[in-house]
Amino acid sequence: MPTSKNVPMKSKGLKIGIVCPYGWDVPGGVQAHIADLSEYLISHGHVVSVLAPAVDESALPSYVVSAGKPIAIPYNGAVARVLFGPIAFSRVRQWITQGEFDILHLHEPAIPSISLLACWAAEGPMVGTFHAASKKQKAIYAIGPMLEPVIEKLSARIAVSEAARTTLTDHLETDAIVIPNGIYASRFSDGVARSEWSGDTLGFIGRFEEPRKGLSILLAALPIIVKSVPNARIIVAGPGESEGLLKAMDPAVRQRITFLGRLTEEEKADFLASVSLYVAPNTGGESFGIILAEAMAAGAPTIASDIPAFVSLLGAGKFGSVFNSEDPRHLASIAIDLLKNDSNLFGLRNGNGRGTRCASRL
Amino acid sequence: MKTSFLVITLTLLFLWYLSFSATRLDRLHHRVETSWANLDGLLQRRAAVALELAHSEMADPASSLLLTAAAYQAREAQISVRSQAESGLSGALGLLQNDLVDEIHPAEAALLKELSELTEKIRVAISFHVDAVTRTRLVRQKLIFRVFRLAGRAPLPVTYEFEDDVL
Repeated sequence: MPTSKNVPMKSKGLKIGIVCPYGWDVPGGVQAHIADLSEYLISHGHVVSVLAPAVDESALPSYVVSAGKPIAIPYNGAVARVLFGPIAFSRVRQWITQGEFDILHLHEPAIPSISLLACWAAEGPMVGTFHAASKKQKAIYAIGPMLEPVIEKLSARIAVSEAARTTLTDHLETDAIVIPNGIYASRFSDGVARSEWSGDTLGFIGRFEEPRKGLSILLAALPIIVKSVPNARIIVAGPGESEGLLKAMDPAVRQRITFLGRLTEEEKADFLASVSLYVAPNTGGESFGIILAEAMAAGAPTIASDIPAFVSLLGAGKFGSVFNSEDPRHLASIAIDLLKNDSNLFGLRNGNGRGTRCASRL
Repeated sequence: MKTSFLVITLTLLFLWYLSFSATRLDRLHHRVETSWANLDGLLQRRAAVALELAHSEMADPASSLLLTAAAYQAREAQISVRSQAESGLSGALGLLQNDLVDEIHPAEAALLKELSELTEKIRVAISFHVDAVTRTRLVRQKLIFRVFRLAGRAPLPVTYEFEDDVL
């Protein structure tokens, strides 16, 4: 929970409607950002309603309204759990009419989900936040002109990173203001190191089944690391099916890997406080890398691939090390360097508590 | 029979598209007006703050003269030369802010704080307005909007030019 001190209300609270395009049940950067933003706005005396696709309606926070069950479709190199169709459209319309919002905040209005539907249906002040960063695809030439009339209804556009902004200008020829995602740094700085996750451990958090998250690169680097650091282990957190992956592995590698499944927020903070190194080997498709910001807030020394989002987040290597993306050898050599030299790690852990605390505001 | 049905359907579709396009342009014009109203209000406030600064003890007589002139020019400028006048005011304010004395009176410090907050807001407001204007002009250039005069008598929005580094 954020520190909800009684913030004096400057003016009468606004009625804010936020639309989340992705299924609320599966954790992700966009969902986490919306949850933090909503809690921040509520603590400032605004009335917030979030419309999101959801499987289990009973597990939703009080401010989230379900728009129906999400559909899984492949999108931008991953499986996106989105929602559209006539029923969803009427649900969105109903939510907008009933909410009587002063302002609508639509996340990812350019992907086929309820944010796009809301942008189509609503009139009045609207803000769109664009999270995704992707390379220019041919499809956009066909989709662009169709999206244009919808996207131009937004009075303001926000991109969460330079990468997302470039994507937006390339794809839809409109500019945006860059406001980086904020996190509640204090939630992560309070993590307690747990012995079972400490030692020469390399941490990884994410939906590891998706190739773009790059777990395979970390796994390929492990045998090289083990030669120099005999006790090196990898701990993987995040939802996914791990058994098939484990079976396909070399037995020597298998015993050095632990899958924890999905962690709660508290466990995540502890996890980040425990591991010796946090590794983000993502191969692309990453726009901001909120998990890396969280790792930094927790003080974990980080190694990340040199994709644009990570390089900019890590201040070009100032706040964490970067390795050549998709190069396990380079990753291994940096990891060995850091693990072998304890004072190195200690310095990193202490120098890193900088935490990106910039709760983004509307 | 079949052809006449097809013709009617196509005509209806086309009429719907025309009405859709007209709504779309109308919405864009509305966006331009609201973003301009917002920007205009902020710029007026900035001019007022600039005048107050000019009359404060912080400004020497010469800068005071320059600021007052620039602020009045900005306030009275026609919309087509407004951005130029505002850039002039930004320049004058910049001169004043560049060589501040170390000890500043609390009242003046408050003014300077207000000014920097306003500048931040103006920066955002300009980007909203510029986007709305360019969008509208782009759309109005399209064939269907010109042939059917969907813009009606609405004046073509004026681009607001500004230099990023001045403001």
